[in-house]
Amino acid sequence: MIRNKSMRRASLVSAIVATGAMVLSTLPAQAATPGVTATEIKLGISSPLTGSAGLSYGKVPGAMKAYFNYINANGGVYGRKITLISRDDKYLPTAAATQTTNLILKDNVFALVGALGTATHSKAYKAAALAKNNVPDLFINTGFSGFTDQTKYPTTFMVLPTYAMEAKVIAKAIKDNFAGQASFLIAQDDEFGTDGVAGFKTAGHTFTLAPILYPQGSMTSARAEAALTGLSAVPGKPVVVLFGTTDVTATILKAAEKLALTTKFTWYAGSVGADANTLLALGVKPTTVNGVISASFMPDAKDLTDPYVKQFADINTKYNKGITFDNYVLAAMNSAMLTVQALRAAGKDLTRAGIMSAIEAKGSTFASAGLVPLGYSATSRIGYNGYWVSQLNEKGEGKPYGGKLVIYTTDSGAGAVEVSTFVRPTMPKNGIPTNS
Amino acid sequence: MTQFITAVLTSLSSGAIYALMSIALVLVWRSTRVINFAQAGQAVLTTYIGYDLVQKTGSYWIALAGAVISGAIIGAVIDRFFMRPIFKRVKTGPIVMIAPVVATLGLLGIIQGLIGFKWGLTSQSIEAPVSTDGFKVMGTVIAFSRFNLLVLVFVSFAMLLLTLLFQRTNIGLALRASAYSPEIARLSGIKVDTVRTLGWAIAGASGGLAGMLYIPGYFLYPNAMDLLLVFGFVAAVIGGLESLFGAVAGAMILGFSINFATTYISGKLFFPTAFIVLVLVLLVKPAGLFGSKKSRGA
Amino acid sequence: MLKGTQSKKRLVLFIAFGWALLILSNQVGDLKLYQGSFVATYALAITSIILLTGYSGQLSLGHSALMAVGAYAGALSIFNAGLNPIVSLIIAVLAAGIFGLILGVIAARLSGPYLAGTTLALAVSLPTLANQFSILGAEEGIVFDVGPAPARFGEDFSQYKWFFWISSLAALIMVWFIANLLSSRYGRTFKALRDNSIAAELSGINVGRVKVMAFALSSGVAGLSGALLVMLISGVSPSAFPLSLSFALLTGAVVTGLYNLKGVILGGLVLVAIPEIADSLVSRIGGSEGFTTTLPGFLVSALLILAVVFTPNGPGHLIKRKHHKQKVL
Repeated sequence: MIRNKSMRRASLVSAIVATGAMVLSTLPAQAATPGVTATEIKLGISSPLTGSAGLSYGKVPGAMKAYFNYINANGGVYGRKITLISRDDKYLPTAAATQTTNLILKDNVFALVGALGTATHSKAYKAAALAKNNVPDLFINTGFSGFTDQTKYPTTFMVLPTYAMEAKVIAKAIKDNFAGQASFLIAQDDEFGTDGVAGFKTAGHTFTLAPILYPQGSMTSARAEAALTGLSAVPGKPVVVLFGTTDVTATILKAAEKLALTTKFTWYAGSVGADANTLLALGVKPTTVNGVISASFMPDAKDLTDPYVKQFADINTKYNKGITFDNYVLAAMNSAMLTVQALRAAGKDLTRAGIMSAIEAKGSTFASAGLVPLGYSATSRIGYNGYWVSQLNEKGEGKPYGGKLVIYTTDSGAGAVEVSTFVRPTMPKNGIPTNS
Repeated sequence: MTQFITAVLTSLSSGAIYALMSIALVLVWRSTRVINFAQAGQAVLTTYIGYDLVQKTGSYWIALAGAVISGAIIGAVIDRFFMRPIFKRVKTGPIVMIAPVVATLGLLGIIQGLIGFKWGLTSQSIEAPVSTDGFKVMGTVIAFSRFNLLVLVFVSFAMLLLTLLFQRTNIGLALRASAYSPEIARLSGIKVDTVRTLGWAIAGASGGLAGMLYIPGYFLYPNAMDLLLVFGFVAAVIGGLESLFGAVAGAMILGFSINFATTYISGKLFFPTAFIVLVLVLLVKPAGLFGSKKSRGA
Repeated sequence: MLKGTQSKKRLVLFIAFGWALLILSNQVGDLKLYQGSFVATYALAITSIILLTGYSGQLSLGHSALMAVGAYAGALSIFNAGLNPIVSLIIAVLAAGIFGLILGVIAARLSGPYLAGTTLALAVSLPTLANQFSILGAEEGIVFDVGPAPARFGEDFSQYKWFFWISSLAALIMVWFIANLLSSRYGRTFKALRDNSIAAELSGINVGRVKVMAFALSSGVAGLSGALLVMLISGVSPSAFPLSLSFALLTGAVVTGLYNLKGVILGGLVLVAIPEIADSLVSRIGGSEGFTTTLPGFLVSALLILAVVFTPNGPGHLIKRKHHKQKVL
C-alpha cells in the first residue's frame, strides 16, 4: 500500500513539476506588429530538413538565410535585419502543425516563407490559425493548385507554377513535337499525380494507356523494370512523362539502362523530378540524361552567363559555404529576393496586412530570376504562371528545347497555353533590390 | 509473355534483396531473441564506411570486406554496451520483448543522426562491381543483370554458410542454446553473454553484406534501408523466424507476391500486399511457414 | 468494500485533476495549451499501448494505423455527415474498436514477433489506402473542424484553450474508464493472461476471447487519440500517421512504465517535451548547419535509449527500489 502511494505521488509530482517548468520557462512577448522591431524582421520557415524529403529540400532554409545575410550586410530592409527562423518538420503533417504554431506563438515571426508540402502545409495553415491571425504565408514551396483558393488560404501566396499548369505545357509540347507517337504517364499517387492528371485532361491530352500511379515510396527498381517492359511493346518511340520526385526519375532511368531501353523512349521529366545534378549523383549515366526533356520556369543553375544565376552563385560561395549551388539553391534564393522586395514594397511601417496588399499591387513587377511572369494581383495568388521547355545534356545542363527559348503561360483551369513575350525585369544592381 | 518473364526475374531480384535483410534479422532473433530495428541503421552505417573505402581505394571488394568487418565490430559493440545492460535489468514479462525493440529503435535514430552529421544529408551512390545491364537472351534484353546474379549467389552462399554454422558447429549450438534457454545454457557452462555478443557480431556482418549488395542498385542516404527493414521483417516472419532457409523462402514469397500483384492487378497494392500475404500465411500457420509451435512465445 | 473505496478515491482524484487542469488552462498562454493538448492526446495513445501490451501482453507496432482509423472515422462524420464533434469522437472510438475487434481475432493466434510483424505491415499499408478512395481526400485529406468554443465562454476563449479542454476532458474520461476496468476483475484477467497464458487457460479463462477484447478496447482508445490528434492539426492526412508514430508511442510507454497507467501523463510529456528541449538546446548551441539539423533527432534518440537502458521498467520502479533499500536498511 505504501509502495503504491509513493509511486503514484512520484509520478504526479514529476508530472506537475515538468508542467510547471514548461509553463514558467517562456513568457510570450507581444509587439505591436509581431516579429518587427526597429532593427529586426523575423521570418519563419517550416520545412523538411531530415528524412527522405530533406534530401532535396534540406538546402532551402540555408540558401534563403544566405541571401538574407547578404542583404543584411548591405543595409537590410530600411535598416532592419532579416532573421530567418527555420524549423524541421520532417515532411510530417503533425510536425508541420506544431512547428508552424511554434513559429507563430513562440518565435513570434512576422510572416512565413517557403512552407513546403501539400499534406504538411494544409494542416499547418489551419492548426497555426494563420488565417485568423492574418499571418502572411509567402511564396510557398508547392505546386498544388488548391492553395490558390483564397477562401481556404486567405493569406497564402504561391510562387511555383501549379502542377496542372506544367501538365498543360507538357501536353502542348508533346502535341507540337511528338504528335504521331504514343505517350504514357508515370506519376506519384498524390497531389503531384492528381493535379497533373487533371492538367493533362484539361489540355485535352489522352495518354495511350491509363496513367501508372504509384504510391509514394513504392517505385522500386523491380516496379520500374516491370512498367518499362510493358511499355516497350508499343511500336515507335513513345513519350514517357515522369511526374514524380528526382529519386524516382533516377530509378526509372536506371531501369531503362538495365533493359537497354533508354533510346526506345523520349523521356519527359516533370520539373520536380528533373534536377540533373541529383540524377547524375544517383548514378544515372550522362548518356541517359542527355536528351531528357523537362520544363522549368527559371534559368538553369549551371548557366553562369545569366546575371541572376551568377549573382546568386556568388552569394552562395560567400554566405553559404560548403553547399553546392544547384537549382534548389537558386530557387530558394530567388524566393528570398522576392521576399525582400515584398518587405520593401510594404513600406517602412511594416504590417502584415501591408505586405500582403503590397504583393497584390506590385508583386507582378518584382525582379526575379524567373523567365515567366508572376501573376499576383488583387484577385490572384498565383506566382509564376508558365514554363519554358528545356532539354538536359550530358553535363546536366538544361538548355532550351529546340535551341530557342519559348515561354508558355497558362492557368490551372481550361485556359489555353499561350506563347508569351514576357521579358523579365533587369536584375537590381548586385542583386540588392531598391524597390519601394 | 515478356511481361511474365520480367515479373519472375524482378521478383527473384527483389526477393534476394529482402532476403539480405531477413537473414540478418533472423540471425539476431535466433541467437538473442531480439528484433533488432537498428539493423537498418547498422547496415547503412557500414555501407557509408564502404562508400568511404570505395572513394579511397577505388575497389568495391575492399569496401565490401570493410563493410562486413565493421558490421561485425559495430554489432558486437551494440550488444556489449546497450543490450547487455538492458537484459540485466529486465527479466520477465512483455517488457523483455519490448525494451530491446525500443532500445534498438533509439539506436536507429542515433545511428542515422551520426551518419547525417558525418556524411551530410545528400544522397550518394556506389557503383556495382559488375555490370548492371540486363543479360541479352536471344536478342532481347531481360530484366536480370550480372549484378542481380551476384546478389542471388551471395544470398544463397550466406544462407548455406550460416545454416551450417548454426546447425553443425559447437558455436552454433551455443548460440541457439543461449537464445532459447539462457539459464540452462549457463548451467552447462556456456558463457551466455559472450555468445550473445558473437551472435550480434555475425548478424552485424551479414547486415554489412546486405548494405553493400543493396545500395549499388539504389542510393545511399541515412534512411535508405528503412523500407527494406519493414519488408525484411515481414519476410522473416512469413518464413517463421526459425531457419535461414525460412528467411529466404519468406523473402522470395514476399518478393513474388508484391511484384505480381503490382504488375497484374494494381500498382497501389505495393504496401497492402505485404500485409495480406502475411495475414494469409499466419492464419494457416501462426508460427510462420517453417516455424514450429514450440518456438512461439516471448 | 475495499474496491469501492479505491474506485471512489480514483474518481475523486480524476475530478480533482480535471479541475486543476481547468484552472491551469486559464493561467497559461496559447502555446502551452497547444502543447498540453498534444500531451493529453499522446498520454491517451500511450494508455492504449499499456492496455494492450503491458496488461494483456500483446505487442503491437501498428497503433498508428488504429489511430488513423479513428481519425478518418471522426473526420468523415463531421465533414461528410455533418455530425456534432462529440458524436464524431464517439464514432471514432467505435470505428477503431470494431476494426480492432476484427484485427484481434486475427491476432489472437499470434504471439511475440509474429504479432509484431503483422501490426507492422498493417501500419505501413493502411495509410496508403487513403489515396485509393477519393472520399478520403488523398494528401490534402479531410478537414477535422471542431468549431470554435461555445459563445458563452466569451470572445477571449482561444481555439487552443478549446482544444485543450476537449482533449484533456476526453483523455481524462477515457483513462479513468480504463483505469477502473484494469483494477476490476477484467484487469486481473488481463494480467493473468500476460504472466502465464497456460495457467490462465487452466484456471478457466478463455484466452482467445480475452485477447480479442483487449485488442478491441485498446483500439478504441487509440481511435479516440487519433481523432483528437487530427483535431489538433485541423485535418487528417495519411502521412499524419507514419510508422514512426507507432514507434514513438511504444517508446513513450516503455520510458514511463509499461505495467500501469500511472505514468501516462509523463509519457505524453516526454514525447512532446523532449523534441522541444532538443530543438531549443540546439538553437542555443548553434553550430554548422549539418550539426543543428541532425542534433535534435540524435538527442531525442539518445535520451530515449538512456531511459530504456537504465529504467526499462519505468521510473516508478527506480523509486520502488530505493524505497525497498531504505526499508531493508
